[in-house]
Amino acid sequence: MRRRLFILAVLVAGLALPVAAQNLTLPGKSGSVRFAVIGDTGTGGTAQYEVARRIVEYRQKFPFDFVIMLGDNMYGGESPKDFQTKFEIPYKPLLDGGVKFYAVLGNHDNVNQRFYKFFNMNGTQYYTFRKGNVRFFALDSNYMDPKQLAWLEQELKGSGSDWKVGYFHHALYNSGKNHGSATELRLLLEPMFVKYGVQVVFSGHEHVYERVKPQKGIQYFTEGASAKLMARALQATSFKAAGFDTDYSFMLVEITGDELYFQTISRTGATVDSGVLRRPAQAQSTAPASVYSRSRMTPFPAKRGLRGDFRLAEAPEPRFSPSNRREHSGQVSR
Amino acid sequence: MRHLALVVCLVTFTGAACGQAVAPKPQPPQDVKQVQAFKQFTGLIQQYLELRNNLEASLPRLGTKESQEKIVEHQHAFAQKIREARAGAERGDIFTPEIAKELRRLIRRELQGPKGPNARKTMRQGGRVKPFRLRVNDTYPETLPATTMPPALLLKLPQLPEAVAYRIVGRDLVLQDVEARLIVDFIHDALPK
Repeated sequence: MRRRLFILAVLVAGLALPVAAQNLTLPGKSGSVRFAVIGDTGTGGTAQYEVARRIVEYRQKFPFDFVIMLGDNMYGGESPKDFQTKFEIPYKPLLDGGVKFYAVLGNHDNVNQRFYKFFNMNGTQYYTFRKGNVRFFALDSNYMDPKQLAWLEQELKGSGSDWKVGYFHHALYNSGKNHGSATELRLLLEPMFVKYGVQVVFSGHEHVYERVKPQKGIQYFTEGASAKLMARALQATSFKAAGFDTDYSFMLVEITGDELYFQTISRTGATVDSGVLRRPAQAQSTAPASVYSRSRMTPFPAKRGLRGDFRLAEAPEPRFSPSNRREHSGQVSR
Repeated sequence: MRHLALVVCLVTFTGAACGQAVAPKPQPPQDVKQVQAFKQFTGLIQQYLELRNNLEASLPRLGTKESQEKIVEHQHAFAQKIREARAGAERGDIFTPEIAKELRRLIRRELQGPKGPNARKTMRQGGRVKPFRLRVNDTYPETLPATTMPPALLLKLPQLPEAVAYRIVGRDLVLQDVEARLIVDFIHDALPK
């Protein structure tokens, strides 16, 4: 009986996976900028491999060109073998397919990762690159010294009216109970982001997925659960818009013209969040993005003229129970 | 009325000019000590930088698209060269007692001031590194994370060239060679309890 049940479960799972992978909410428009977002990946554990397989699966439906890595790219040792088991092997199909990875450093990362060929950091701890009409700012939030701040301001100032996407390890807004928001960093970076019109920011560190209600016109995401999970770590906060803390996840993003579409997918292939941000047409460098929904509206409190709306789709509503913390994979999140 | 305005302008101008010419505002003795100590610190950092840059120049240059094998090999070879060149190095060679005293004072002032709670939160969030036995010329343990440096502190501490960085281990302040991953020097109990 047990054996039959097991076979049945395997069959059901086998049938469910490809179906789930077909569920793509992104438009896949011609000429769009497409990328994946992963954070806190470098464990070499089963979850990392499973999420990696799911990313590969989705790339068949949504051919993206690059991946941004939100730090903690390597936990523990950083020997050549570690780089194989914690990066090169799980993401081999992507590397073989010409996908480029752009990493930032987390608190667990050796700064010498900046020389590693597959992280495309060009020997620097912070850098910027452009894809289509999008300018990315990859920062080192472990060591935000005056030099980096001056560099960031100069780069932001000169970056014109493109989409401006920031990413770094520590989240400026986060509802997790392990780390929460990096408030000191926020005091320094947020005014600059607002001044120069950064529209979207991605971070990791807390091992959950979270989308924050737009803050001062900026959309913040945390994706720190692509290999580690702090289950039930999300708490109720005034700024949390959506979250997923019951399984591992990654994000897919598509930017086309003035729209940014995103889809967050769990290890099992379920879409746990999706939506679209709209940047005002011919935006000035200081204009923040507006937020719209593509589906049914669940309004957020209006702030600075923004109307926000997204929905959790197809996944069970995440439960936020601060007293019921469980840790997956037996590792303490830092 | 015009004359009155002219007189006011003249008085203001001469007053300001006199104020400038009289004497610079004397600095508190503590600030003078700090300026001197940090000037000395900059000089010692410069000396270290020259040494380590010369040593690095003797190694095959590390490119920006390297394999991990080459990165590790370079890190170890570079660390070994520095160890050999600084075989007699001791704690306090760069963080001299005067410099350590001023850095401790600065750090305490920051962490016990209005920005202190946020700075401490930054360190906690980064995952405070469990103290381990610090020794000059030892490698910073491979498997340990780095404490996130509070930006407010980095804004106040003397700025360092990219080759070296401040790290916090427990309550100690460490000067680390970033590329060689070596502990160059450290100050015990630099952070207040």
